[in-house]
Amino acid sequence: MPEIRIEKLRKAFGGLVAVDSLDLQVRDGEYLTILGPTGAGKTTLLRLIAGLEEQTSGSIFIDGKCVNSLPPEDRKVTFLSQTYSLFPHMDAWQNTIFGPTARGWDPEKVEIIGREMLEMVHLYERKDALPNELSGGMQQRNALARALCADAKILLLDEPLRALDARLRLDLRYELKKLVKDMGMTAIHVTHDQEEALTISDRIIMLRSGKVIQSGPPQEIFNKPESPFIHHFIGEANFIEGTITGKGERGARLTGQSGRTYDVAPTELKVGTKAVAGIKTEFTIVGKEPRDGVNDFPGTVQRKLFLGRFTDYDLILDNGHNVHARLPSSVAHKFDEGDRVNVHMDPERLLVFPVPGKGLAKELEMM
Amino acid sequence: MEIGKRISSFISRKSTIKAWYGFIVVFFILVIILPTLFVLSYAITGWDEAGGEIFAEPSEPEFTLVPIGEGNTSATFSCPDIIDITLPTSIKVDVQTDRIALVGYSIVDVGDNHIHYYHADIDVNGTQTYWLNISANSTYNEIRHVGEATQIFYIMTYDTLPSGGHQELPLELRAGSVSPWTMIKSSIVNAFAIATVVTVIDFIAGLPMAWIMVRKNFRGKQYLDTLIDMPLAIPTAALGFSTALFWAVTPGVDAWGSLSLVSSPMLLIILLHIVFSYPYMVRSLAAILHEIDVNYEVAAQTLGAPPLTVARTITLPLFRAGLVTGIILCFARSLSETGGTIMALAMLTPGLADMAYPMQTGPTLIGAWKHAGGFEPQLAFTSMLLVVISLVLLVIVKIVVMRFKMPLRKVFPGPERLFSKGIFPKLKDGMAFAFMFIVLIIPSFFIISFAFTGDPVPVDWGPFWSSMGFSFLVAGVITVLNILFGVPLAILIVRGKNKALSNILDVLVNVPLIVPTSALGVSLGMFWGSVNIELAVFLVIMAHLAFTFPLIVRNVAGSLEELDPTYEETARTLGAKPMFVFKKVMYPSIKFSILAGAIMAFTRSLGETGATLAVVKNANTVPVYIVDLVKAGTYYPAALACIMLIIITFIAMMAMRYITRKAEK
Repeated sequence: MPEIRIEKLRKAFGGLVAVDSLDLQVRDGEYLTILGPTGAGKTTLLRLIAGLEEQTSGSIFIDGKCVNSLPPEDRKVTFLSQTYSLFPHMDAWQNTIFGPTARGWDPEKVEIIGREMLEMVHLYERKDALPNELSGGMQQRNALARALCADAKILLLDEPLRALDARLRLDLRYELKKLVKDMGMTAIHVTHDQEEALTISDRIIMLRSGKVIQSGPPQEIFNKPESPFIHHFIGEANFIEGTITGKGERGARLTGQSGRTYDVAPTELKVGTKAVAGIKTEFTIVGKEPRDGVNDFPGTVQRKLFLGRFTDYDLILDNGHNVHARLPSSVAHKFDEGDRVNVHMDPERLLVFPVPGKGLAKELEMM
Repeated sequence: MEIGKRISSFISRKSTIKAWYGFIVVFFILVIILPTLFVLSYAITGWDEAGGEIFAEPSEPEFTLVPIGEGNTSATFSCPDIIDITLPTSIKVDVQTDRIALVGYSIVDVGDNHIHYYHADIDVNGTQTYWLNISANSTYNEIRHVGEATQIFYIMTYDTLPSGGHQELPLELRAGSVSPWTMIKSSIVNAFAIATVVTVIDFIAGLPMAWIMVRKNFRGKQYLDTLIDMPLAIPTAALGFSTALFWAVTPGVDAWGSLSLVSSPMLLIILLHIVFSYPYMVRSLAAILHEIDVNYEVAAQTLGAPPLTVARTITLPLFRAGLVTGIILCFARSLSETGGTIMALAMLTPGLADMAYPMQTGPTLIGAWKHAGGFEPQLAFTSMLLVVISLVLLVIVKIVVMRFKMPLRKVFPGPERLFSKGIFPKLKDGMAFAFMFIVLIIPSFFIISFAFTGDPVPVDWGPFWSSMGFSFLVAGVITVLNILFGVPLAILIVRGKNKALSNILDVLVNVPLIVPTSALGVSLGMFWGSVNIELAVFLVIMAHLAFTFPLIVRNVAGSLEELDPTYEETARTLGAKPMFVFKKVMYPSIKFSILAGAIMAFTRSLGETGATLAVVKNANTVPVYIVDLVKAGTYYPAALACIMLIIITFIAMMAMRYITRKAEK
């Protein structure tokens, strides 16, 4: 059964460490997404698994077998880049049977397998079409048929949807996952698009500077980020720096640098320690009137940015704090630039983190 | 099948591939680069010899005392710089004679034993000082003493015979032989002066043409495209013939329509070099112009700038990369050209030995010395200088053009608006076209006029076909070797994991392209001579391989860079071994560039003169054969041979255009 286990994997390009003693396990049939900012080492990790790069140290096991010294053609994983790397000069049929032909299988057997795979993805009648004559969805199906035909149960997808336009990308996202699941394949999908990762994955691996910083199902990554960076990367968040000044049953209290206090989510940090609290912009509620007196702050609308379904606000609170908010456009029309408003932050959503080692600004840098 | 599988798995083994790449790199360094630059070692190993030979002061003029009749006559000569006298000049002669003698002078070319000057001047009796006044002769503008034994300057005394005639009794003065350094210096200065002037003219005339080709649309544009490339299809030896015939005063040969205007060798060579370098300039400029987004120009124009201001302040500053390529290509080609230049010189001054041409460029001097034999230190030294200077110049051009601040900021609204309108743009375009037709196209094909209107002589085709056979053998072999070694090297440069190695190889590959081919030939001859290989066929093949190698590597590397590497990687992960990936995924995408590079190498080899002349003394390729015919004054067969060669390369060029067009689709 295809199962990938990675132990202490490290890859350095000269002085630059792309993957840093990374441990990872991918279960059979899992759809795993590797999410992270540009330069986090996502693609390098994928290339290491495929055998396209040689690791500096560490090991990769596929089906319990160490593949460190195997060339890419013997690993039975298929690496697909943007638009699935269908060979532009070959038609759908030639693309599909590329793997078996390359391995020198019996032509009759190749014929049968190729046909079976193409029929499975409903492309047999288009077998003479070149990739540029196929629609985006057909290309995707062709690429998967080709991978299956090559006897590969593991798919490595390097931003496969990136080159497509927005609408098609949304459609193909679902189809891709469905096909992978139907065919019983294991997929590792690399992306820097958090929305794509949230919708498509069984599990997300957050990668930063070559290290896994969090791993878990999409909801967990979204609701329980383990660092301010992840909190900010998945969606966008407002942060408050301060000191824990009280702890109760249902939450804690943080006093900001301005002296204002905030009710925040429960934390294990001790009273008196410095901390950072963050809330996603979607949960930063803007209203005319204060809600219940808890975490209600008067402020002024500085700038309003209409995005279509949502509207973004830049607000300045009376305590001097700058806050962003994202509201559905249906309620946003009530507020204009210069209006006095109330900003409410749900204490449950105001998550508390220890102060990052290098400071908050450094932590939030997209590197 | 079993064996086939074994072989394929053997060549796909990582170690085999590594070994193969290793071999390619070693081959490239040892067989292409090292021999090309081997001549530089001469600075260390041969310096003593060179210093002695090359910088030796010219020997003092000597004279021999010759008894005349019963009495004695002797003379002392004080000459001005005999080495390079411009006529008219005077030579001071102190004569002691005990009776009446006549003093005169003649200049004898030992090459053909022909007396070019003869003048009896004065009756002398007793001890007196005289000036011999040497005046200009109709065929000579200059007396140059080249080499040690080419020309001997005689001062003669004459006995008056009883019959009234004169008996020559020479007092021989060997002209102070010129130091090789003087010759090398002037030939290199000439070569660089020509290359500079040619490049500047190419740029001035080529810029409007590049503009027309990229920014304008009109009917027949694709023909203009082909027309500009035409001179490239003609071997330079044939081009030299054709151009000289069109422009120059060529004694002993004429054709209908010949202008017979130019008698200065420098001017003729410049006109010739423009013909074959202009297409490179236009192509380079057009290529970069094509990349420059026309929207910048549109934006500038909508902001109120007249077209001339836009071109000068917006487009030109973005141009530098193309300019560097254009300058380097034109400069290197002009600096390197040998065959056509020899043709032009030979046709201007028929019957003159090749060392006695009124002017030399670096490559023609190398050709002449190699042909005469016995000038190894001079050859090595000249080649070394050419190699060093051209490499240094390459670096300087790159730095200067990229750093140089063009004075483009200042705007002259009045004049620029005026020159952007009405008749001026039309005038500019008209002049660009006129230049192209008069300077490029007509001279290129003027040889056809000669074929129809020249005096036909029976032609012995035997030697032509044998030289053609030799040329095809060489061109064929180097094309195959180029493909075998050039393609893997290109792959290594573009796809190599070791970026530092790739970058070094990438720079090195250009070296044989920059080094003048005659210097390359000398260097290769020295290299293989140092391991005692002197087989002519082998040496010619090696020389041609060296200067054509970059063509195929550049071509293939260029198209590989366009090819997304993920296709190959995906193919590997689908189970294909490296050889299979090359065959099925990479090769279909680069096969056209391999073919284009191969045809380019083939035609360049077919047309090359300089390297062939410099690497061995007697290698009979077609261009060398044609040059020899012209030197011997047999113009008609030479012209027919030129036309044959043009037709063959033309077919190859057309095939290449067809193939590249097809590839673009």
